[in-house]
Amino acid sequence: MEIVSEVLQLFLHPENFLAIALGVVIGVVVGSIPGLTATMAVALALPFTFSMEPVAAILLLVGIYKGGMYGGSITAILIRTPGSPASACTLLDGYPMAQQGHAKKALKTALYSSVIADFISNIALIFFAAYLAKIALNFGAPEFFWLICFSLTIIISLASGSMIKGLLAALMGILLSLVGLDEVFGSQRLTFGNYNLMDSISFIPLLIGLFAIPEIIEFYRKKAVPHIKAKASGAGLSLAELKRCLKSIVRGSLIGVIIGAIPGTGATAAAFISYSDARRRSPRRDNFGKGEVEGVAASEAGNNGVAGATMIPLLSLGIPGDVITAIILGAFMVHGLTPGPILFQENLPLIYALFMGIMFSSLVLLVVGNGAIKYFSLIADIPKAILFPIVLMFCVYGAYAVNNDTFDVWLMLGFGVLGYIFNRAAIPAAPFLIGFILGPMFEDNLRRSLLIGGNDLSIFMRGPITWFFIALTLGSIVLALYRYVTARRLPTRADTSQDAP
Amino acid sequence: MSTPDHKRGGPIRDPGDVLAGAVLLIASAVLLFYLVPNYIGEPPVLQNPMMSPRWLPRIVGWLLLGFSALLIMQGLLVDNTGKEDGRRIEKGPRRRFGLMVVALLVYVALFETFGAVISGILATLILFVAHPVRTWWAYSLVIVFPVLVTFLFVNVMNVPLPVMPF
Amino acid sequence: MKNFLKAASLAVCSGGLAMAASISTVHADEWPSDDVRLVVPYAPGGTTDVLSRRVADLLQEELDANVVVENRPGAGSTVATGRLARGGRDVDHTILMASPGHTIGAAIYPDLAYDPVEDFVFLQNLIDIPNVMVVPADSPYDSVEAFVEAAREENMTFSHSGVGSSIHMSGELFKTLTETNMTAVPFAGSGAALPALLGGDVDVSFENMPTVLSHIKSGDLKALAVTSAERSEHLPDVPTLREVGDYNLDQFVTTAWFGLIAHESFPQEAQDAMQEALEAVMQREEFLDFANQLGAEPGQVAGEEFKQFIAAEVERWQGVAEEAGIRQ
Repeated sequence: MEIVSEVLQLFLHPENFLAIALGVVIGVVVGSIPGLTATMAVALALPFTFSMEPVAAILLLVGIYKGGMYGGSITAILIRTPGSPASACTLLDGYPMAQQGHAKKALKTALYSSVIADFISNIALIFFAAYLAKIALNFGAPEFFWLICFSLTIIISLASGSMIKGLLAALMGILLSLVGLDEVFGSQRLTFGNYNLMDSISFIPLLIGLFAIPEIIEFYRKKAVPHIKAKASGAGLSLAELKRCLKSIVRGSLIGVIIGAIPGTGATAAAFISYSDARRRSPRRDNFGKGEVEGVAASEAGNNGVAGATMIPLLSLGIPGDVITAIILGAFMVHGLTPGPILFQENLPLIYALFMGIMFSSLVLLVVGNGAIKYFSLIADIPKAILFPIVLMFCVYGAYAVNNDTFDVWLMLGFGVLGYIFNRAAIPAAPFLIGFILGPMFEDNLRRSLLIGGNDLSIFMRGPITWFFIALTLGSIVLALYRYVTARRLPTRADTSQDAP
Repeated sequence: MSTPDHKRGGPIRDPGDVLAGAVLLIASAVLLFYLVPNYIGEPPVLQNPMMSPRWLPRIVGWLLLGFSALLIMQGLLVDNTGKEDGRRIEKGPRRRFGLMVVALLVYVALFETFGAVISGILATLILFVAHPVRTWWAYSLVIVFPVLVTFLFVNVMNVPLPVMPF
Repeated sequence: MKNFLKAASLAVCSGGLAMAASISTVHADEWPSDDVRLVVPYAPGGTTDVLSRRVADLLQEELDANVVVENRPGAGSTVATGRLARGGRDVDHTILMASPGHTIGAAIYPDLAYDPVEDFVFLQNLIDIPNVMVVPADSPYDSVEAFVEAAREENMTFSHSGVGSSIHMSGELFKTLTETNMTAVPFAGSGAALPALLGGDVDVSFENMPTVLSHIKSGDLKALAVTSAERSEHLPDVPTLREVGDYNLDQFVTTAWFGLIAHESFPQEAQDAMQEALEAVMQREEFLDFANQLGAEPGQVAGEEFKQFIAAEVERWQGVAEEAGIRQ
């Protein structure tokens, strides 16, 4: 009983509630500005937390993290500018929905599935942290290697139009991801002596360039069409639709939790795996990529399932799974706390107070998000002729902000042109992105395994986790081939979708 | 790429795919035979060929080569031009497109020398004229937004955007 | 509640509604006459970034001026450093948080456009973080001697946080001095490297103290030695590598140091003002607590001494990099 009162004493503090609310609001606002990311907001807020109580300090940063994740999806849905690589998956269906006049529905779907996933992920954090941390420790380079192989197979299911083009896009993505210093030998690969390329190509310029800029270029390539005012951005999400998505959301959250608990894979893989899984199972498979509610739900669930779960390796092992948790780790340090096994022994009340705050932040996100949607969905009503030039300006400033360098602006515009060419040649951009993200992980873990195993290939089959992922990988390939062949046998139905933008 | 005809005769069924395949074929050949040997350093001693920094680029290069050849073949044999894959668009006037390119070039060339505010105003103005936007009050946004957003980035988010041309 | 007003102003400003966040305190003729820029040559998150933000926060009060932290990551800190070396108009108000990347970068990156020693003034070494030679809890080796003997027989693996990190170079230095067989296994940062060590996939690592301290205390890792010149008060029972004596290890003294540097034309009055402010900062309890949390010792050297230390470091790492074949 003593611990309960101690926890409540730590948690029931007006400062904490204010911190969470403020954090979520800052996160949503900053995340929803193209080019500005939750990472920047967390880094900027860090000095403000130095003089705060530890619980409030951490909760402020966690609030920004969660709000920022959702804010990134808002721009992905409304203006095709993903705030993070993970929300690139959301735009596959979210943006078409907004174009069809269902902006509000897409935003609500994203919000509800985010909150549900968040909730599930927090439950996992509270009850299974110790257990999941153990799995994370058994996840060495060979296990990672197979996980990445499995993730790569989802390219097949994402390449909706033409398998060949999807694979070509993925290969190009892998190729570009290899630019930079070689991780093992430190030799330069395709940097052409340019210092800006030595740390490999930055994410944000690539993301914005690949998705937002082609949309702008295409708008000016096409004939001007008069702006049709949508009717209040469409209706919200009906209960029946939410019910239909619920299975995908739960499955996506669990995928997110498992991937989030393994440091270093990140939300992007979770979002895409969850998306392709939902698509595989859905009876409305053909509608994915054209504005399917379930697609938005699955992707957001995977994405947010990770957010809570990345706290697992952080709190129980002291290992940050991504940049934001690395900054939160810094905040712990500043307050004289070192996450890890010792923290659980010495500061259990504090951990539980944090857990309660993290749970509470999901609720706050629901409220803040609902309020934000009302105003954000108005963006969908702004004529593109006015919206796009301003979006372009944000994109340019945002690309500069990544490294404070004009080189990234050029990079972003270059990727914009590439993305436009992709559109003209019907080469899908999503496999390109997956290749870009997973390519280095594939290579690094392959070489790491070889180094650890002393060039002995048996390390790739060393235990049940590797066997499990080998089976998943093979199964996924076989299933995809089976689908491909049976689809070929059936006479191709006439495509009924209207002109896709 | 532009003609929406279905099932045309002739040896090439889908010129767009053939073109894309050919470009990629050439690019992957350049990669394999020029870029990889010249721009990727390899350590003198290697215990395992898979450890080489050139290993994955080479494999990706060969796969690109193979798949682009397949794409060319597919373009020769199968007609996909009728598919709704977003390839066909109704082109607008050249002036509209040309001005957009100019706006992009403004950002490329002037962002660092003239600063964020001036290049932002200039590019936004060009894009408004390109459409063209006919609501007169919208042109006030051309000035308001670059100034406001630059202020936001520089003073609130601590992003040191180049502000003024000096 | 005061912090909340600060944080609230950030929120309000995010909406673009208020302008009060950064009113610069301008004095007419004494330094600083403008905001001071503290350049962090790495991305947000990580020791350099957090330390810089902590120091900037304190320095702000001591200097009575805004200290703005600016991240400029790239090529193992050499992009930001190269930019500082080139100079520019606000070079008299720009300082940079240098770390081992400054000296190691000079050793492993080809054709740097600057001289890591002569192109800068060296203000103050703020903290030194020792590296710890750690092995997994179930490792059969309990001492450095046992480890070295075993490593002469069979090949060992050591994890590091990236080519050219102080962790990597410490491993290479150890390998060279003790003439053992060791293979470097690279990871993307200490966070990624730690599970491999905890899970026993690699045999040893020369990790930074703050990353592994709690794991050593909880018994998940065994510390064989620390790399600093003196024993660390956080691990009083763990010997230094210098104490081992044998296997040329008496030459093995290295720490992850962090210090502030500026362009060589940084005015003398600014140097004096910074010196005074930094000395005050290093006396502050907040600073000492933070350093303690990192397992770090407050820095010892400043000015000319700091410069000599850097020159020696550059020379040493160049030798190690050449020996290990890292220099391309």
